[in-house]
Amino acid sequence: MSDFVDQCRREWRRLGVPDPLADEMAADLASDLGEAEAEGVSAEELLGSSAFDPRSFAASWAAERGIIPEPPARVTRPRRPLVLVAFTALAALTLIVAALLLLTGQPKVSLVTTRSAHAGVLPAPAAPFFPPGTSRQVLHANTSAPVEWILLFLALVALGFAAWLWSNWGRSRPTSVST
Amino acid sequence: MALGAQRRTELLRGVLDLCLLAVMDEGPAYGYEMTRRLRDRGLAIVGEGSIYPLLGRLERDGLVETYRAASDGGPPRKYYRPSSAGRLALGLGVSEWRAARDAVDAVLAPVKVEVAS
Repeated sequence: MSDFVDQCRREWRRLGVPDPLADEMAADLASDLGEAEAEGVSAEELLGSSAFDPRSFAASWAAERGIIPEPPARVTRPRRPLVLVAFTALAALTLIVAALLLLTGQPKVSLVTTRSAHAGVLPAPAAPFFPPGTSRQVLHANTSAPVEWILLFLALVALGFAAWLWSNWGRSRPTSVST
Repeated sequence: MALGAQRRTELLRGVLDLCLLAVMDEGPAYGYEMTRRLRDRGLAIVGEGSIYPLLGRLERDGLVETYRAASDGGPPRKYYRPSSAGRLALGLGVSEWRAARDAVDAVLAPVKVEVAS
C-alpha cells in the first residue's frame, strides 16, 4: 500500500504538483487504502485497474483536479498518402517530359501537299513521282510520334485523376481532435 | 476482462458521477466511505473506474464542496458534499438516467432471458 502511495508521490513531484496538495492527496489515499485493507477490501476494489498503474492514476487524479494541465489534445494529423504523392509526381513528370519532347523535337507528324507542278517543294530524291498536274497529300509520320502524344494525353488524364483524389482526400481527412 | 464485467464498467462510467453525488448527498463522506456506501448497494468499483479522479473533477467543476475533519478515531479526512450546483446537476442527471433507462428497457423488454441454473 505504502509503495503505491510512494509511487504516486514521485509522479506528482515529477509533474510539478505543489507539495501541500501532493501531501493532502497522499494522506487521503494512504488513509483510504489502510481502511480498506483493514476491512479486507483489496486495492483493486478501491482503485479499479489503476491499482496496477500508480503513475497513470496519480497523473489522472492531478489532472482532473486541475492541478496540472491536462495532456494536450492530440490533433490527428493525417499523413499525406505517399502513394498519392508519388502518383502525382509521376504524372507531372510525364507531362513535362512529353511536353519537352514535343516542343523541342522535330515535327513528327506533318501533312504535306505536293503538287507536281511545283517540283521545288520537296527535294528531288525524296519527292515521290506524281503525274504532271496532279496533287497528293502525303502524311509524313515518324514512328515515335504517337508515343509522345499518348504520353501527354495519359499524363493529363493522370493529373486530372490525381486532382480528383486530392480533393477527396482533403474532404475526407478528419478534423476532430482525439483525446 | 470478461465481457460482462467490461459492459458493467462501461455502463457505470457514464453514471458514476451521479452515484457519487447521490451517496454524498445522504451525508458528507470521504473517499473510502463513498466506496463503502456504493458497495453496500451492490455497486462495486471494479475495472477501470476509480473514484478519485472523478472526485477531483467534481471539485474542479464546483459540483462539490470539501472540508477536512477528523474521522471516527482516524486521521483527518477530506469530506465531500454536493454544492448547490452539484444538487442541480444530480437532479438533471437522474432525470436523464431514468429517461435513458426506460427507453432501453422498452427496447430490451421483449427479450427472453434464459438463466442457466
